[in-house]
Amino acid sequence: MTDFFANFLNPEKRLFVGYLISAAFIAVIWLRAVQKKPLTTIVSGFFNSKIWFSKSAIGDYKLMVLNQFFIKLLAPILLGQLALTLFIFENMHLLFSRPSESIPVWMVMIIFTTTLFVVDDFSRYLVHRLMHRVPILWRFHKAHHSATNLTPLTVLRTHPIEAVLFSFRALVVHSLCLGVCFFFFSGSVSLIEIFGASLFVVVFHALGSNLRHSHVSISYWNWLEKILVSPAQHQLHHSINSKHFDCNFGAILSIWDTIGGSCLTSNKDQQIEFGVKGQSEAAHNLKNLIVGS
Amino acid sequence: MFIKRFTAKAVPLTVVLTSAILISSASFARSNVYADFPITLKDYSGSATTSTSYKGQMARHALESSLKKLISKGDVSAMQSYYSGGSADRVIIAPATKGDFVIMQSTIGELSSKNLSGKTYKGLIPGWPGNMTGPEVVAFMFEKAADAEAGYDAAHAYDYTQLVSKFLMGAVMYNQAVDNYLDEKLEEDTKPNNKPYKDGAAYTGKEHVWDEAFGYFGAPSHTLTLSAQDVYNIAKQKDVTAADYNYDGKVDLYKEMAFGHAYYASSFDKGGKTTYLHDIVGAYMDGRDMLVEADANALSDSQRDQLKAYAKIIKTNWEKVIAEAVFKYAGETYEDMVKIEAILESNGDVAKAWRNYAKHWGELKGFALALQVGGKDMGAVSVRLNRLIGHSPLLLGNTQVTGVDSNGEYIQSNSESWGGYMAHMLKVQNLMVDEFAVVAKSHDQTAGLAELVKTLGGKSSAEND
Repeated sequence: MTDFFANFLNPEKRLFVGYLISAAFIAVIWLRAVQKKPLTTIVSGFFNSKIWFSKSAIGDYKLMVLNQFFIKLLAPILLGQLALTLFIFENMHLLFSRPSESIPVWMVMIIFTTTLFVVDDFSRYLVHRLMHRVPILWRFHKAHHSATNLTPLTVLRTHPIEAVLFSFRALVVHSLCLGVCFFFFSGSVSLIEIFGASLFVVVFHALGSNLRHSHVSISYWNWLEKILVSPAQHQLHHSINSKHFDCNFGAILSIWDTIGGSCLTSNKDQQIEFGVKGQSEAAHNLKNLIVGS
Repeated sequence: MFIKRFTAKAVPLTVVLTSAILISSASFARSNVYADFPITLKDYSGSATTSTSYKGQMARHALESSLKKLISKGDVSAMQSYYSGGSADRVIIAPATKGDFVIMQSTIGELSSKNLSGKTYKGLIPGWPGNMTGPEVVAFMFEKAADAEAGYDAAHAYDYTQLVSKFLMGAVMYNQAVDNYLDEKLEEDTKPNNKPYKDGAAYTGKEHVWDEAFGYFGAPSHTLTLSAQDVYNIAKQKDVTAADYNYDGKVDLYKEMAFGHAYYASSFDKGGKTTYLHDIVGAYMDGRDMLVEADANALSDSQRDQLKAYAKIIKTNWEKVIAEAVFKYAGETYEDMVKIEAILESNGDVAKAWRNYAKHWGELKGFALALQVGGKDMGAVSVRLNRLIGHSPLLLGNTQVTGVDSNGEYIQSNSESWGGYMAHMLKVQNLMVDEFAVVAKSHDQTAGLAELVKTLGGKSSAEND
């Protein structure tokens, strides 16, 4: 259970209580100032039991709890991280000359933090795209898309096999970035951190990343939505409407979607139904979430 | 002689200080100086006053140190004389008096007229080209050193001074101690403790076996009264006060000097992460104290087991010291390669960096060869180590020495890329960590990486978009 609560207390996690508060704050401002909704409607919307206790949300909770135990089994994968990092570091010698002069630590920190952020985000886009495009992977990812109500907790509505793939992705990306950056910058490699988490992660989450899994449809200017994924764009990604299929795979940056031709910008007054076409209510049962309905 | 230290200094001591020494010394169960152990043999009738004797080993250290200087002079007959000759008049070239660091002995005979050849490991040395035994490798290196310029062959990046010195420290000192004295000579039927080592000797079989093993390590007899930094400074001839334990104004090479692997142990320990020197000397001391207690009686099985347990501490730590040296010089070789590459890219003069490269590689190779002559079958580790290092440093043009032809000339073949050989050095460091659990890790080329992986590395997460 400690791990379960760590989701809410660790600034590296999207469900960190600080990010939930900032998301709520941003939602209130958006709904009040842009959509001109009365405060009472906003507050009652936040605590709408039809959403929080819907079959879909309960399905989220079940998978969330199951994954807490499953994640424990993945610990051995992470033990391979040092070996993989060393392997990459060693093999860099076959491709490049090791720099003999060092550059200032602050510059290394900026380069490393940015590189890690960009590569990590790109790999998330790539894996996400594959989860949709490769039929066998879609079978697992469908569990996430079967949510018919989106709440911030939907972020953990993940099939256990998908959690394994995500762990491998993180392992490869982090090893790659560390191995390559250590080759060029040696011991001065470090991350710009706030509260023990990467600067970019903190900024992304603090700016309302939790609202992408919600019914608060915040959209950006069109030009910005081609660079950064807005909550409304991600809600389009969850749409049941076939016009919206296979769009907006990006996590933070939408430039990958823009390049890959899958970027769909949002409309201010979009009304979206979430879920997977043709699914029944039974899709939210734990058995069906795991083995498919 | 060693009591002199106390008598000479007792007068100016205050009563308080004297009391403190008496109180603290009363709590010592372990002797703190490896010297003047009593004669336990009941039938001894000679003039000796102690059973401790290991002058021959210190003579060999002095021979090895002197040889190191001779190699750069290119005189093969002088090298051979120090390696295999028997003259008592051979001058101790190193360590020699330096300022106030006055060396007591000036000739090898003042210690013991020994040689190194008789005690060099006779087995095959697979890490050196030409399928040679230990003494053949030494003879081959002498010939090559004589042909080179001051023991340095720039074309093949061989530094014979380092190669011979580090190899001999392994093939003579380490091999004799761990594969002979601390091995088969601890058995029941070999050099028993209830008989003199040889007729008329003042020491029992096991007492002398233990002393000889101690001598080969090269530590000053008063090591346990010193810090690792002190012993390091003694070896570097920088601290005569630390060395001159009996305050006679001279450093006795027999008892007061630091040589060989003891010096290397001190160099790693002074960093504070390891205690090889004191662990090894402490185990020697415990074993010798136990032999005094045995009082020239045959050792029981449990006493021999205890002695073997002390021997194991010595062997394990000694092996780690050599592995730490391999680790260190693989790191320094790597650093030299980074520098050479940068100089070449800027069309600079690479001569000085190349000289350092040959020196550090020579030390790496010497210690790597030493690691393999401890009488232990290292199996695949040995193969891997020799393949990673190769028979020579990587040369410009990406070639390496791969053999020796029938005329004794080196054969070169295409080998790794420059970066590939650098990666080999990293793998050598990893091998020392994995197989010998080295801790000091001097010149660690991946220092901090494990910590980075731990703090920044991938973490399991089921977060989905």
